[in-house]
Amino acid sequence: MKPRWKGKGSKAKASADPMSKIVSQLQSSLIQTKTCGLLSSCSVLVEVDTELADLLNRACFGRPRITAEKDKQWFQLDMEETFYLCFSLKCLQVISEDGSIKSNEELWEYFKSKKPVFPISYKAYSHLRHKNWVVRLGLQYGVDFVAYRHHPALVHSEYAVLALPEGDNDLNVRLRVWSDVHCTVRLCGSVAKTLLIVVVNSNGLGANSPSCLEHYTVEERTITRWNPEQSREDQRGLQNQTKEGIL
Amino acid sequence: MDNDDWESCSDNDVYLKDRNEDDDEEDCYSSGFVSTLQFRKDISKALWIDDLAKAEVVEKKGKMWVTMGTVCNGSTYCSIEETLFLVEIGALHVLDQNGVYLSLKELYEKLSDGKSGCNWELFEAYRHLKSLGYVVGRHGIPWSVKGQKIKSGTCSLKSSQESNELLEMEQENKNSIVELFNNMWITEVTPAFHVYLPNSKFRKSSPGDPSFILCMSRGNPPSRVEIEAVERKHGSIPLKFCHIENGRVSFFSIAKVYLGFGNFEPAYEMPPAP
Repeated sequence: MKPRWKGKGSKAKASADPMSKIVSQLQSSLIQTKTCGLLSSCSVLVEVDTELADLLNRACFGRPRITAEKDKQWFQLDMEETFYLCFSLKCLQVISEDGSIKSNEELWEYFKSKKPVFPISYKAYSHLRHKNWVVRLGLQYGVDFVAYRHHPALVHSEYAVLALPEGDNDLNVRLRVWSDVHCTVRLCGSVAKTLLIVVVNSNGLGANSPSCLEHYTVEERTITRWNPEQSREDQRGLQNQTKEGIL
Repeated sequence: MDNDDWESCSDNDVYLKDRNEDDDEEDCYSSGFVSTLQFRKDISKALWIDDLAKAEVVEKKGKMWVTMGTVCNGSTYCSIEETLFLVEIGALHVLDQNGVYLSLKELYEKLSDGKSGCNWELFEAYRHLKSLGYVVGRHGIPWSVKGQKIKSGTCSLKSSQESNELLEMEQENKNSIVELFNNMWITEVTPAFHVYLPNSKFRKSSPGDPSFILCMSRGNPPSRVEIEAVERKHGSIPLKFCHIENGRVSFFSIAKVYLGFGNFEPAYEMPPAP
């Protein structure tokens, strides 16, 4: 699937303003301002000035909260986003309600307690973010994430992402039966996305510490429906269908 | 860049027309397919040989023999799925070894008894693709074999690696059909058919690589490990996965991809490792 840019000029805009640079600016700005987030259940709240608010929006981290405050803005971060900023980009610190700073290990344990599949879902999230894709949670599509090639204002997301652990275990709950495959592929298709499975292999390392993540391996696979009525014409046609995974 | 509503101006509400090919509940009750079964004047004839679990073609009529049946020492043999397909469309008459015509019912029974290396789902997949004009051959069975005398037993069950060797046919081989067949259901994914495109200039003497290998899925979707095991054996030939339930035949591709680095480089499908 090719990227579907929204409106004229979006592709050029994106080209002129690479996501890697935006994220890098966000990282510097967070470090400079020594920004801290407040942990509240599964969310982390950050209070930021206009410049940081702009960077968070452009890099697509968190959701702005509309408040009456004038010169400061509040953002709400998801677990994966928080951990990416804290652990991967090392530009954010998280404080619990008693004022103590949570170390990355503590944060890891805490997030795992809220979401047992967090190690897998985080690996998939960081894997895609690291490649400069914009990744947002995809609950409304029945998947873990949706991935955009750039800012969602500029481009439609191409992928609906499921993060699945390798092997047969308790955390592997999706696509275990064919009806789920049919359902998920059909839903993705009806919202013009390709189903992308990010298979995370923990390589037997467990998930005791975020340092395990480094040695997890990831394989990406797309699952697409093939229609034999449509591919009869030529070899190229068949290859293009197969290359639905080529994007 | 207007950030306020990018969430809502994203594709939340994009619901493209659901191009669903399966909304054929009405179609299967229509006479569409039946009306395409023409009255045939030229009907081929074959002799069913229980020992081989194949039908030996004794009278060939029509052009379909270019893409059907496997050749062994100059004779053409049809597997049970090929036989059934042709009988269903009225293109073939099959006799038993006593010269008595075998009814469709008796052929369905032969499919169902498990001794012919096939089963109903495999036949459905075969029929679905054949009806659309694809050239379909059973995985592991060469299209054409030359050799010396044929003894009793199956024509070929060995892998296509040995396609040009003399194949000895002994009674043991017949048992291995059943074994092969039984083994097919141990893993979730098994290569079942080699498929070539309809307009390819197909020749049994040099078929070339298939366009794809069709794997049947039994109970549950295959795991990544199982898929990779099959991919490794077949190099660069794409795989497709077939799931059949309630008479619905669905095909899926489960392709390995690599999302590109950088800012909107396309992802690409890497050629499988040799």
